[in-house]
Amino acid sequence: MAIFEVDNLSLHYLTRFGKKIHAVTGVTFNMEKGEILGIAGESGCGKSTLVNGLMGLFIPPLYPTSGDVRVNGESLMNRTPNDIRQNVLSRKVSMIPQGAFNALNPTRKVKDIAADVMAAHLKNVDKKEIYDRLVERFDLFGMDTKKVLNSFPIQLTAGERQRSVIGISTLLNPQMVIADEPTSALDVTTQKVVIRLIFDLLEKGIFSTMIFITHELPLLRHVADNIGIMYAGEFVEYGTTDQIVFDPRHPYTKALMGAMLSAEPGQKQKKPTAIEGAPPNLANPIFGCRFADRCPVAKEDCKKSEQEIRMVAGRQVRCQYAE
Amino acid sequence: MKQFLTLFKSPMFVIGFSLFVGTLLLALLGPLVFNITTERVGVQYAPPSGKYWFGCDDLGRDYVSLLIKGLQASLYVGFLAGIIATTLGTLLGIYGGFKGGLVDDIINMVTNLFIVIPSIVIIILISASFSEGRSLTLIAVIIGMTAWTWSARAVRAQSSALKSKDHISLAKMNGANTFAVITLHILPYLASYVFMVFILQVATGILTEAAISMIGLGPLDTVSLGTILNQAKNNGALSDGIWWAFLPATVIITMVVFALYLINTSAEGVFNPRLRK
Amino acid sequence: MLKQYPTLRYILQRGGWYFITFVVAVAINFYLPRLGSNNPVKIIMGNTSQGLSSEAVKEKEEKYLKEFGLVKVKNGNIVRNEDGSPVKASILEQFISYVGMCFKGDLGTSFQKYPKKVLDVIKEAVPWTIALQLPTILFGWIVGNVLGALAAYKRGIFDKVFFPISLLLSSLPFFVFGMLLVYQFAVVWDCFPAMGGYAGDLIPTFSWAFFSSAAYHYVLPFFSIFLIAAGGQAIGMRSMGIYELGTDYIKYAKWLGLKETRIIAYLFRNAMLPQLTGLALSLGTMIGGALITEMIFSYPGLGMAMLTAIQNNDYPMIQGCTLLITVCVLIANFTVDILIGFLDPRVKAGLQIGKGK
Repeated sequence: MAIFEVDNLSLHYLTRFGKKIHAVTGVTFNMEKGEILGIAGESGCGKSTLVNGLMGLFIPPLYPTSGDVRVNGESLMNRTPNDIRQNVLSRKVSMIPQGAFNALNPTRKVKDIAADVMAAHLKNVDKKEIYDRLVERFDLFGMDTKKVLNSFPIQLTAGERQRSVIGISTLLNPQMVIADEPTSALDVTTQKVVIRLIFDLLEKGIFSTMIFITHELPLLRHVADNIGIMYAGEFVEYGTTDQIVFDPRHPYTKALMGAMLSAEPGQKQKKPTAIEGAPPNLANPIFGCRFADRCPVAKEDCKKSEQEIRMVAGRQVRCQYAE
Repeated sequence: MKQFLTLFKSPMFVIGFSLFVGTLLLALLGPLVFNITTERVGVQYAPPSGKYWFGCDDLGRDYVSLLIKGLQASLYVGFLAGIIATTLGTLLGIYGGFKGGLVDDIINMVTNLFIVIPSIVIIILISASFSEGRSLTLIAVIIGMTAWTWSARAVRAQSSALKSKDHISLAKMNGANTFAVITLHILPYLASYVFMVFILQVATGILTEAAISMIGLGPLDTVSLGTILNQAKNNGALSDGIWWAFLPATVIITMVVFALYLINTSAEGVFNPRLRK
Repeated sequence: MLKQYPTLRYILQRGGWYFITFVVAVAINFYLPRLGSNNPVKIIMGNTSQGLSSEAVKEKEEKYLKEFGLVKVKNGNIVRNEDGSPVKASILEQFISYVGMCFKGDLGTSFQKYPKKVLDVIKEAVPWTIALQLPTILFGWIVGNVLGALAAYKRGIFDKVFFPISLLLSSLPFFVFGMLLVYQFAVVWDCFPAMGGYAGDLIPTFSWAFFSSAAYHYVLPFFSIFLIAAGGQAIGMRSMGIYELGTDYIKYAKWLGLKETRIIAYLFRNAMLPQLTGLALSLGTMIGGALITEMIFSYPGLGMAMLTAIQNNDYPMIQGCTLLITVCVLIANFTVDILIGFLDPRVKAGLQIGKGK
């Protein structure tokens, strides 16, 4: 059985005036133990909304429209916020946020933040035990554990803060970790350290699966087993890394790879905005393919029929003309 | 300019703005509507009646006249003090924040000095030393000269943050001198912020004038809302229950200041999107 | 060596700055009343020289001139010009003698209450001012900030009701509110006294009757200041709280599934810091406003002392009061600064790493 299953998940926002914004539509994928799924897409494609949905955080104005999310067979839908907070967050699904080094409370020491996490989810753990567990875990991270744990965030380097966040997010051994651009603001050396750390933790079984969100293609290539390309709230293409990177079939993916791979290897990639035009406004009813307005090979009836997911060359593609 | 038009979309702003404009109109057009006189017309502390809507003061003068004149005076002081404080503070703030370095440190030090030393103390001392020749303008100037510190600090923070923005660096690299950069590039950005600062400074000006007049250090030649209150207090109107001696003035001050605060808060909500929800 | 104790360094640094401010304040306090063309001695002479012979008048005048440091003195005797008139002391000399007197604890002699010393009048008034202002400003700050934080976190109905009320309260100056309270509670409903610190027929003693009377007279002034201060703090904290709610670390705390009470604690602990800074900045104004409230209630504190001084052109008294007020504000500011240093790790770190982290 897969660790993490997402079944035709759709999410929407309800604005003050009752309008529905369909932020995420029909996302489906499974993840096995040890798998890293990369998700790529331009700003506004719905990544952040998807992430909240994958954690079960359906906080108004965000609502689930349809579909299911399951961790180890257990569904995250239709549960009370407190249930999600106590039993799902940090324990089953955890998040390493973008800009992780600002994610630490500046007026609290690292060990106290970590202790807060434990206190919020476990019952009756005593202080000494907490500290020992913390040391044991943080010793895996290649930092001066005692110093880092007893410091305030401002006293740490960016790399130390990033690793602390990873440590705190994975403290309770969640099944699935979502990493949102975990390395984008780090220098190249620290990036390598963090990536290696992630692999290490995965191997040790500290967590079971990971979703890695990034704009940087070389990174995705290096890190992800499978890749999902997101556009306007949908997965337009989903397959193995080799398939997506070297043999893209969806017009958007092709354009993305073209825009991204043109830089020299080793250089930081720019965000994929080199494609002309802008994504559609998801508040308006959408007819047909969402990419049609910007698609270089769009045909007349692309905007008339709903694009279903087809299997093309062994991977999912949301385009009726792709081959 | 467009930014300022969007303000009208906020209901809070519309309410505040209307309220304030209302009082402005009262002050400016009042004399045309009402018969303003500072002559003795009635009995000492005559209660409100059909003829004298807010009664008379201890010298038998009509309160409606006094209140309108007082409103004019208070608004005048508020605006003048506000203009002085905002101009001074904005210039110093922009200059310090933009230049940085030693200039910034010096300006900062002076600002902090005057923020910490209570301005009320300075105002009292200066006012008290002018036992003659205390006019509205003098009071406004004094208030403006002590209130600038707060705007200087606020504007400096904004200006300092702007300094590192890309297009400013670009302008500098192209050789534009400091003055040009400030007027052409920084000011437009700061316009909305300076506006909010100005609103608050006017409110502060009005309140400070009321306070200083109330303790007897107000203008010697004119009526202001504060002097009305001072008079009421000195004559024991407070404890004798002669409400028309102080309540109307109090209400007017509160309304004007509240209107200004509404304008400021709504402007903050519009210009700083993070507060919107 | 001092690098090892960043906190100590911080305290010394701030202390040094406050000392400079104090010196400037004393100079300002000294100089400003002399801006106008007032000769204080002339004013006293106007009051007390009736019916005296010209010789006696001259003697008296010189006595006052000497006492107020307006003339040069050598070995206790006035230095004279060739024509026998006293040599006027320069501004600098006046300043030096003023500072000297202050250090000796002599803040001058009150004009109106002559020969009572300024310091004595102040000594009687200060306890009342502290008793009124310390609790109101302190509790006003605490209560206001807690309510503001809750309003920011909960939003909803709590916010919609609470916010306009606080906004209204914070736009009322202390004294205006004081007046309204006096009118409503002391005149219309007559359940609280309108003036004074204690009933007119009592003398301050350590008796139950006195304390209960004082407490009774304490209520209205207390609420005039407390409610407005709380309202103002609440508004500020609410904005601060809303801002903090959008920060990365709060979002992360929510993602981690921390308990709500814990998140509110995070919020408060962080938003409190700029509020403390704000407090330091507005202390001067708050105390000023509170003093004027004292005047409304004829409360026997520094406010009243200053008011009667103003009404009687009692310059030494005015100066003495303003000096004391400035000193108190400086001390309060210094205390808050130190508090911030202890509570905000970024401040200490900023000193360790050096400017511009």
